[in-house]
Amino acid sequence: MFSNATKLTVIAERLLQERIIEMLYAGGAKGHTVFDGSGKGEHSNRRGDRAAVIHDFTIVQLDVVFGNSDEARKVAEDIADTLFVDYAGIVYLTPVEIIRAKRF
Amino acid sequence: MDLLLDFASSFFTQLRSPTLAFLIGGALLAALGSKLTVPDAIYQFIIFMLLMRIGLHGGMEIRDADLTALALPALMAALTGIICVLLGWATLARLPGIRFDDAIATSGLFGAVSASTLAAALVVMEQEALIYEAWAPALYPFMDIPALVLAIVLASLHAQKRRVAEGGDVGERPKVGVWKIIKDSLRGAALSALLLGIAIGLFAEPGRVYEEFYNPLFRGFLSILLMIMGMEAYSRLAELRGVAHWFAVYALLAPIAHGLIGFGLGYIAHITVGFSPGGVVILAIIAASNSDISGPPTLRAGIPSANPASFIGSSTSIGTPIAIAVCIPLFLALGEMVFGT
Repeated sequence: MFSNATKLTVIAERLLQERIIEMLYAGGAKGHTVFDGSGKGEHSNRRGDRAAVIHDFTIVQLDVVFGNSDEARKVAEDIADTLFVDYAGIVYLTPVEIIRAKRF
Repeated sequence: MDLLLDFASSFFTQLRSPTLAFLIGGALLAALGSKLTVPDAIYQFIIFMLLMRIGLHGGMEIRDADLTALALPALMAALTGIICVLLGWATLARLPGIRFDDAIATSGLFGAVSASTLAAALVVMEQEALIYEAWAPALYPFMDIPALVLAIVLASLHAQKRRVAEGGDVGERPKVGVWKIIKDSLRGAALSALLLGIAIGLFAEPGRVYEEFYNPLFRGFLSILLMIMGMEAYSRLAELRGVAHWFAVYALLAPIAHGLIGFGLGYIAHITVGFSPGGVVILAIIAASNSDISGPPTLRAGIPSANPASFIGSSTSIGTPIAIAVCIPLFLALGEMVFGT
């Protein structure tokens, strides 16, 4: 019933969302989920409870589950190397167990 | 001497406007660590309301206006945006301890236009019954877009030169997607609402919805927006502490210098094609303003190597308050002095 897979999580500024999604699909993603976020990192404290004067600087979390962990690894490295040189953000992989493996 | 006294008195009258009280109030709340917050959705909606109202008003009036008169002021607006960026390139970018990219991104932002400053200026001008051309607020994109494009072009040329200097190959000419920058600017929340408002005002009959909904709420929403701007200004001050002090100096002086450039070029249009005194004041105030909504993400995407704390910190925490608190009364008073209105 359950099979192993790899979840790739990217947390970045909304500004980068479109570019990240493009890279994810180019790297073999079959779907993705976006969550709005707030928090604090090395760069700045991003509060989510008040008006963000610049909407594009609020953070989002993108989750993608890859059936193939090599694909996930490669996309994660690509994103870190191209986007996170100049922009704030983090990217990590988590081993997950999925149902309906055909979808990933 | 009398002139100066008049100037000073009208300047101080403006300083007591509610506009400013809300701006300072917001900064005070943030400084005192108040728990009062305005939700993001409300802020987004306020921007839409204000720009839609300015657009509708402009669109309805433009119908009977002579649009050929727009050509020279629009050119002057574009020139102002370009000169502002070049001025930053010639001054701020040359100062010791300032990274070129940070300086150019800052100049680009200060050359661009703030929708909230424009809205605040229009409220004061309508209060003073200062006549301006209906299309004057539409000068906004003519100044905004050239400033942002020029800043991004200068930064990418500089990056290319640096690569060559480091012994790298020339590589391909840096491709700056000028069309993409223009598209992004026009799709920005503020400009979209302004342009849609102008179109609706021009082609439909929005008189009643304007009178009963957009216009009565305009001032109230503006006051909330200014409070948010005040809060934002205080919270971004911390970021500014981490960058060179020159940015703070630039942010203090640039709005006034840019406004004077706008006023001067507007005055030339006044003499040659009869651009109205109110229009000249609007041109000066949008020149003094610095983009606070659409400009920062455009520059952040266009000049990724620039440190956002430098350009957004200096613009939001110092530039915007100076533009609203000092430049609006200053250029209204200057307009009064020059045109004797």
